[in-house]
Amino acid sequence: MRTIKYLFIAALFGGLAVNGGGHPASAGILVQCPGDTDGSADWATAGETQPPNTKCIHLGAGDGYVTMADGKVQYMFGFSDLTGLPTRSADPNNDADVMAEGTLAAAFPAPPIVLDEGDELYLTLTNVGMMIRPDLFDPHTVHFHGYPESSNIFDGLPDSAISINMGASLTYYYKLNDPGTYMYHCHVEATEHMQMGMLGSLYVRPAQDGTSFVYNAKTYTKFAYNDGDGSTGYDVDYPLQISSFDSAFHDASESTQPLPFALMEDNYAMLNGRGYPDTINPDPLPAQDPTNGGKVTQFESALITASAGQKVLLRISNLNVTRNYTLGILGLPMQVVGKDAKLLRGPSGINLYYNTNSITLGGGESVDAIVEVPADATTGTKYFIYTTNLNYLSNDAEQFGGMMTEIVVN
Amino acid sequence: MNIRIVKSTMLIAAFGAMFLALFTNGARAAIDGISGSSFNLAVRTGQISTPDGGSLLMWGYADGAGLAQYPGPTLIVNQGDTIIVTLTNNLTVAGAAPPPNVSIVFPGQQVSIAAADPGVLGSLTSEATPGATVTYEFTATNAGTYTYYSGTDSALQVEMGLMGALIVRPTAGVDHAYNHQDTQFDREYLFLLSEMDARIHEEVEFFGPGSIAATDYIANYFSVLWFINGRAAPDTMAEANLALLPHQPYNILPKMHPGERLLMRIIGGGRQMHPFHHHGNHARIIALDGRLLESAPGLGPDLSHEVFTVPSHPGTTTDAIFEWTGKGLEWDIYGGTDVDRPHDCNGKAVGVAQDPGAPEFDPVTHEYCADHGKPFPVIMPQQPDLTFGGFFGGSPYLGSLDALPPGEGGLNPNGGFTYMWHSHNEKELANYDIFPGGMMTMLFIEAPGVTIP
Repeated sequence: MRTIKYLFIAALFGGLAVNGGGHPASAGILVQCPGDTDGSADWATAGETQPPNTKCIHLGAGDGYVTMADGKVQYMFGFSDLTGLPTRSADPNNDADVMAEGTLAAAFPAPPIVLDEGDELYLTLTNVGMMIRPDLFDPHTVHFHGYPESSNIFDGLPDSAISINMGASLTYYYKLNDPGTYMYHCHVEATEHMQMGMLGSLYVRPAQDGTSFVYNAKTYTKFAYNDGDGSTGYDVDYPLQISSFDSAFHDASESTQPLPFALMEDNYAMLNGRGYPDTINPDPLPAQDPTNGGKVTQFESALITASAGQKVLLRISNLNVTRNYTLGILGLPMQVVGKDAKLLRGPSGINLYYNTNSITLGGGESVDAIVEVPADATTGTKYFIYTTNLNYLSNDAEQFGGMMTEIVVN
Repeated sequence: MNIRIVKSTMLIAAFGAMFLALFTNGARAAIDGISGSSFNLAVRTGQISTPDGGSLLMWGYADGAGLAQYPGPTLIVNQGDTIIVTLTNNLTVAGAAPPPNVSIVFPGQQVSIAAADPGVLGSLTSEATPGATVTYEFTATNAGTYTYYSGTDSALQVEMGLMGALIVRPTAGVDHAYNHQDTQFDREYLFLLSEMDARIHEEVEFFGPGSIAATDYIANYFSVLWFINGRAAPDTMAEANLALLPHQPYNILPKMHPGERLLMRIIGGGRQMHPFHHHGNHARIIALDGRLLESAPGLGPDLSHEVFTVPSHPGTTTDAIFEWTGKGLEWDIYGGTDVDRPHDCNGKAVGVAQDPGAPEFDPVTHEYCADHGKPFPVIMPQQPDLTFGGFFGGSPYLGSLDALPPGEGGLNPNGGFTYMWHSHNEKELANYDIFPGGMMTMLFIEAPGVTIP
C-alpha cells in the first residue's frame, strides 16, 4: 500500500525536474539533483545547467581509517564525498561504482558543507556499508544539527523517521533561510556513530554577503550574519570543529568487541579532526596505505592564516560526545557575535556581543567569534588557539599536542 | 551494535512504556508537583529503577508520609506567598553509625529558620537531626524556576537523590513564567537533569554513608546513569505516577501543536554540565536562575537570545521558550499536492492564490501559507531500502499516517512530528553500557485537532 503511495508521489513530483528522466522505481542508488542528468550531483556534464540557488552534495557513509597525531592508526565510521561521480549516465559504462569509491573512504572530519542563504540543498546520502565490519548492517542518516523549523522526515533522527540501508540512497532537502554556523552528523546510534567519527562542519553564509558596509573605518563585503551595520564583517573565515576520540572504543569496534559505552573516555582531543601538530599541516594527511586502499581520508587542516589587520571569523562548533571543552586564545581577544547559528542580539535589537579569551562549548553548541589580527603584526607571528582543559593538550600519552592550532600572520 | 539482543529488549520495553503513556492520557500539560504555601517534607530511603535492569538505593525527599522520590516533590508556589517548609529526618542507613543530619537550601530565596523549630546549625543551613525536624521560611519574592537540594554533605546527599525543583508562579498568572507578556506560554515542561555514579549508591547501601570517606568516589566521580526528572530513557516517556516506578513519579514527554509556545524549565540538578539539544527549532532563553534577562525592570526579556542547544550547568536554572510552525520548509507539511490530503490555508485550497495582505499563518492550523500547496521536494526511497523508527507514522506529512511494514512504527498513533530532546554529550544517551537510554526524551508536535491532555 505504501509502496504504491510513494510511487504515486514519485509520479506526481518526479516531473518536477528533481531528476529529469530518472529511474525512481529502480531504488538502490539514486542521486537527486535538479538540472543534473547523470546522477553526479553536479552540473559538469555537457548540457547540464545549475538552477539558481541550488546546491547538491552526494555523501557516502561507511568506514575507514585515520591517523592520529602520534601515529596511531584509528578505525572509524564516517562520511565521504562522492559528489561528481556519475551514477546515471546515458551510457551506463560511464557510471562510477560509488559503492567501491565510498568503501574505506570515510573522511575525518566529514566533508565541510558550505551554503548560502536562499539556497536549496539536495543532499544525497548513500550507505556504502562497513568493509571492516561485515557483521554490521547499520543504516545511516545526516542530521543537519540546528536546522530551524525542522521537519520530521529530513531531521535525520532514525527514531522519528527513516534511515538508509546499505546499497541505497536517501536525498535530504533543505531550504536555507537562516545563516549561521551549524554542524552535521549521523544520528543512528548516536553515541556510537558519533564517537566513531561521523561528524562535520556546516555553515550558511548570509544574504548580506556581497554588499558593502563600512565598520570602524574599514569596508567589509563578507559577514557572519545579516547584521545591517557591518559589525560582523570579516576578511577570512575558518570552521573549527572540536571533536575527540576514545581509542579504546575504536579499537573495540575494529576488533568486534563489546563497546565500552560507560567507560568511554576520550584520549585524542582534536580540532578539525586532527591533533597538534597535524592541525597546522595545511595539506591532506597521507593515505593509510595499504590499510585504507590508498585512500586519503584527512583533508581538512586547522591552520588559520591571515594578514595583519585582517578580521578572522572563527566558526567554532563542538561535536565530541563525552564532555564540555573550553577553547582559549593567547594574545588576541575574541569577539563573540553569534551563538548556535543566531546573531547575538536581543529581540529588540540590543547587541549582546562580548569579548572573551575563552569559549566553553558542550557537544552540539556553536559560536561565531571574530579575532582581529593587529595591524602591526609581522609576518610569521603566531597566535595559539588551544583547549584550556590542559590535560587535553596531548595525543594520548604524547604530551604537547591535542586540541591546539595556530593563527599565522602571512 | 554488538548487543543486539539486549537492545531489542530495550526497544520492546520502550514500546510498551510508550503505549502506556500514549493511550492512558497520563501526560499532562502542567508540571506535576505539589502546590500551596506550607509543605511537610521528609527524607527517607528508596530504590530507583534504571532501564538497564538496575536498582539503586537513593535518599529522597518525600511529600509528608509518602514515599521518598527522585527528584523530590516539585514545589509549586505563588509569588508573594510566605512559604513554610518543615523537613523531617526519617533517614535510615546501613551499619552501626546513626544516620546523618539532612537539610534543604533554596538558592535564590532569602530563607530564615523558624524560631519554634530551629533544628541544629550546620555549615550551610540548619539541619534536621535523625528523627527530628527543622522548618524553613521564605517569601517567594520573585517568580521563576528554582531548585532546592540538601545543604548537608551536599556532594554525597545530592548524589543520593536529595534535590528537587521549586516553581514560583508570577502574579501575572499560571500561563506566565514571569510578569511580562513575552513570557506567556501555552504549555510548560520541567527538565531536571541529573546523573549518578552507581558505585556511591552501592557503597552506601551496603556499608553506610560513613564508608564513602574511605573511597575516592566523590573526588573521582564517574557517572554511568543520566536522568531527566529522575528517570532514564526510555522510562522518561512512560506514564507519570507509574506503579512500576514508585520512587520516580515524574515523566517527561513534551507535546505541543504548531504555533504554540512551550516553556522549557531546565535545571542542572546534579554536578555535571549537560548540553541539552532540542531538535526541531531554536529556543529563546528568557531567564537564568529565576531572573528574567531584561535590561531594566518591566522591559521583558530584551537580553534574551536563541539557541539550538541549551547549556545546563550544575545548580543553575534556565527558562526557554520553544515554538515551531515549520515555516520556510518550502514544501507543504500537510501534503498539499497529495489528493488524499486536501486542506485550506487562510481559507484557500491548494492551488488558489492567497489574498493580498493575508496573514502569514493560518489562524487555526498555524500553517505557513507561503508554503501551502508546494510539492514534496524529493522522491523517497522504497521501503526495503529504509530502516524505520518507532516514532515514524509512515508519512512525511504532519498528522498523516501511511502503511509501514509489519512491526514498524507504532509509537506515534496520530502521525505527529517527533523530535529527540537529549543531552548532546551523547555518552549520556546510555544506561551503563546499554544504548539507547539516559538523558533523552521525545517532543511530539501533534497536528491541529489532535487532543493533547
